[in-house]
Amino acid sequence: MLPSWLMSTGFYSSTEQRRVRNVLRDLVRSRELLLDLIWKDLRVRYRYALMGFVWAVVEPVALMFILTFIFTRIFPRDDPRFAAKLLCGLVFWQFLATSLSEGTRSLVDNRNLVDKVHFPREIIPLATVGNCLVNLAIGFVILLIVHLALRGALGFALVYFPVLFAIQFLLVSGLTMLLSCLHVYYRDVGYIVNVAMIFGFYATPIFYELEMVRARINPAGWLYRLYVLNPMVELVTAYRQVLFENRFPDAALLWWPCAAAAVCLIGGVSIFRRQSPLFADQL
Amino acid sequence: MAIIEVENVGKRYRTKRGGRVLLGRGGLGSMLRGHRTQMFDALKDITFSVDAGESLGIIGANGSGKSTLLKILAGVTIPTTGRVIVHGRVASLLELGAGFHPMLTGRENVYLNAGLLGMRHAQVDAQFDEIVEFSGIGDFIDNPVDTYSSGMHVRIGFAVAAFVNPDIFLVDEVLAVGDEAFQRKCRQKIGELREQGKTIVFVSHDLGTVSAICGRVILLRKGRMITRDSPRETINFYLRQVGAEASIHEFSAGAIDVIVCDGRVSVFHKRKEVSAPAGFQVQVQSMQRWHLSMEADWEIVERHPDGCKARGRMPRLPLTHVWDLRIEDGSVKWTVSMECEENVSAEGIEVNLFLPTRYTDWTYGDLSGAFPELAPSDLTWTPIVSPDLACTEAGALPASGEEALAPVLALVTERKPYARVQWTNSDYVTGCRVLQVGGRVPDVDSPLQKGVHHFATIEIRFQSTAAELLARAQARREERTLTAGGLSAFFERGAVRFSYEDQPLTSDPHFYNSISIGHLWDDGPNLQWASAEKRANRIEVSGESRRFPYRLHWGLEAVAGGIAVDIAIEALEAFDVEEYHASLCLRPEYSRWETAHESGAFPDFDPSQDDWRHVNREYAAGTWAKALSSSLPSVMFEVTSREAPFRMTAINTGYHQNARVLQALRVPEAGPLHLTPGRHPYFRGIVCAGSEVEA
Repeated sequence: MLPSWLMSTGFYSSTEQRRVRNVLRDLVRSRELLLDLIWKDLRVRYRYALMGFVWAVVEPVALMFILTFIFTRIFPRDDPRFAAKLLCGLVFWQFLATSLSEGTRSLVDNRNLVDKVHFPREIIPLATVGNCLVNLAIGFVILLIVHLALRGALGFALVYFPVLFAIQFLLVSGLTMLLSCLHVYYRDVGYIVNVAMIFGFYATPIFYELEMVRARINPAGWLYRLYVLNPMVELVTAYRQVLFENRFPDAALLWWPCAAAAVCLIGGVSIFRRQSPLFADQL
Repeated sequence: MAIIEVENVGKRYRTKRGGRVLLGRGGLGSMLRGHRTQMFDALKDITFSVDAGESLGIIGANGSGKSTLLKILAGVTIPTTGRVIVHGRVASLLELGAGFHPMLTGRENVYLNAGLLGMRHAQVDAQFDEIVEFSGIGDFIDNPVDTYSSGMHVRIGFAVAAFVNPDIFLVDEVLAVGDEAFQRKCRQKIGELREQGKTIVFVSHDLGTVSAICGRVILLRKGRMITRDSPRETINFYLRQVGAEASIHEFSAGAIDVIVCDGRVSVFHKRKEVSAPAGFQVQVQSMQRWHLSMEADWEIVERHPDGCKARGRMPRLPLTHVWDLRIEDGSVKWTVSMECEENVSAEGIEVNLFLPTRYTDWTYGDLSGAFPELAPSDLTWTPIVSPDLACTEAGALPASGEEALAPVLALVTERKPYARVQWTNSDYVTGCRVLQVGGRVPDVDSPLQKGVHHFATIEIRFQSTAAELLARAQARREERTLTAGGLSAFFERGAVRFSYEDQPLTSDPHFYNSISIGHLWDDGPNLQWASAEKRANRIEVSGESRRFPYRLHWGLEAVAGGIAVDIAIEALEAFDVEEYHASLCLRPEYSRWETAHESGAFPDFDPSQDDWRHVNREYAAGTWAKALSSSLPSVMFEVTSREAPFRMTAINTGYHQNARVLQALRVPEAGPLHLTPGRHPYFRGIVCAGSEVEA
């Protein structure tokens, strides 16, 4: 049973709508709606496809095979676990990329809801993130299977995954809210995000590793400093350390993603909350 | 307890709405260049509260802010200023099935939509079958919604909303969709919800439904809230201003509101509508057809907070109405003019002030009386008082139970000389009292010349109470009243009413005269009478015949014992008179008569008799006649002219006129009387009333 302040009371005051401190309470109150929306998106996404949910598995696997083929046959690597490493980067990158690009547009795409019904607006971008979470879960299972198939071992360090992922999840949630809010006002944001995601794919160690970058460019130089500003650089490297080296990732890798996640989350949530009561006017 | 509280709510939008681009107009570029976006107030200063269980209707033209207000109540958007507090769960039927996703099945959408309206899965499970049954969707519930017809879409949407069981329903134009059977079902459901004590906020253009459902109605006009005391009055206020924006102007000052809308003026005093729904209008008759000002193409050319100037181009006449309206010192001043582009053959012009039948009494100059009740048999307009060209003021008094309705006094200050004031009862269907200012356009003014014609300025006042209006008419009456002892005589256009100590002695047509010229009787009341002049105990007044070339000069004088009547005739050209008389028509209570030669009783009125019948036998000339009654003082009618002999007769009128008549008739023995131009004596007599009562 939930405490009474988390239950819906049916009290509404227009002046309370912009208060940031109410966010958590509102989200808990409408948790069922959030799950409904995630479920709705999933149903809608695969409804008229013959293979249905199978596509959620096929998509990341196909992408992995394409990239593995390119980097083992055309640009050969001497790493036997390359496919697993690639998939490890890919799965977590895809979560960020799809969350951001779809989440940015989510408010506009759901304008028929935003325009007509009162509910915490945060639910809409969060539902998109939650939707990508399902894909991530599928991708993660595939990752583990591939990892085992390539004779990798599953160690105790697997428990660090949730910690790392919590950082990424908060980062993605905060960014999605910020961008979706901006997108309501300036529809250019959606295109900017798309371009940034293409760039980000190469600026993140997905089909290469951080060490290769360190070996090629001066770690003290401005280019490297700029490169590591992408929190996904540290996060992907940390994921790989956990999975392949079976240890807690380097602490030095973690402080920047944590800081970025905190900034994005606080900024995203508060800006979103301040603006959300007026979204209906802009859509 | 108030379940919805709306305090000083205002909503301001940028004029350029919708998603913006960074670089275009209204985007970053303009912001950097310092261009300010224009703001537009969709709502301004809205304050009201709704109690639990109450039904509130919101009406208004398109773009008046209804939907914005409803969105604010629904929490979809928040107000720019002020605040809204809602103590209860709200289900907005803003757009039914808004959250429906076309690719999901009806079932999935029901859960989703109910969730959006704040319902839990368990609750939906419990009511799912009822929802489906109410919607009448049947087996289609498991088909995707995009296979539904639009009616089914709305039906399932309404069914969900109706069953989520919130405290407050916001309903926006939803009943317009769906077939008649479903609409009826919806109304029934809304009725049920009301009975369950749910609060309903209803936005609709269907004013019939609004007045049926809502106990209170708010009218929005250009984002401002207008309320009246009852839903009916609010709806009427709205109906008076339906039309193109360019042709409507609403202005107010003090207790008066005026709406000028498409050739019709509606006047409100203390927020109560004074004019009838038809308002005040002007009509012009041309080629036997009446052209109404409401047919014209109107435009408000000047707008002021307390007045306006409007122009209305008639579609079938080369004529433009030009109205100037203003509120001055608590009265409405309406100047009616016409601008003719070329000569217009106009036969008649009428300014019609339609007033509701709740006005039951009238004053007209110095006269006053009660309007006859309108009966279904009234198919045409009937004049209430015979028109008097000299009269320029008329009042309407509300029925005794209608304290809220203000007594109206209309004054015609400037006018065309032929524009007379007249009280008329309209036909039963129109159901109005009509104060008409106008009349036939005389030949000298016809056709209306090219140019601007000022027709009349009408001032409508509200300051006086009913008693003051009556006193005003009474004071005017004094001008034409003489008293001698207990007997008083009141001259009214060719007739004299006699009364004794406020007890009327005469009945219609009272004391009057009539002349037979060429076998046509010309009655005194039909003459064109000028206003009376009163000097001490004498009244002098003259009237001109409309048919024959003569004038009558009446002199009434209070003398000891009675009222002397002195009538002279002024021939304007030579003509012959066959006979003439002066008659005193008495009330039917008089039962006996006496002349110098004989006496007798008036016979009872015979229902089959319609003409006047002599009751005396002797036609010899006499000087007096007398009537007696058991309840009224006796009346003596004496001829004092010695120039010519008069026959004194007693007459019973027809059954319907119901009067006893004492008549002084002159029939020249030697053929018709030839009158040469100049003034001739006509009749001189005296009417006395005594306390003598029939034995």
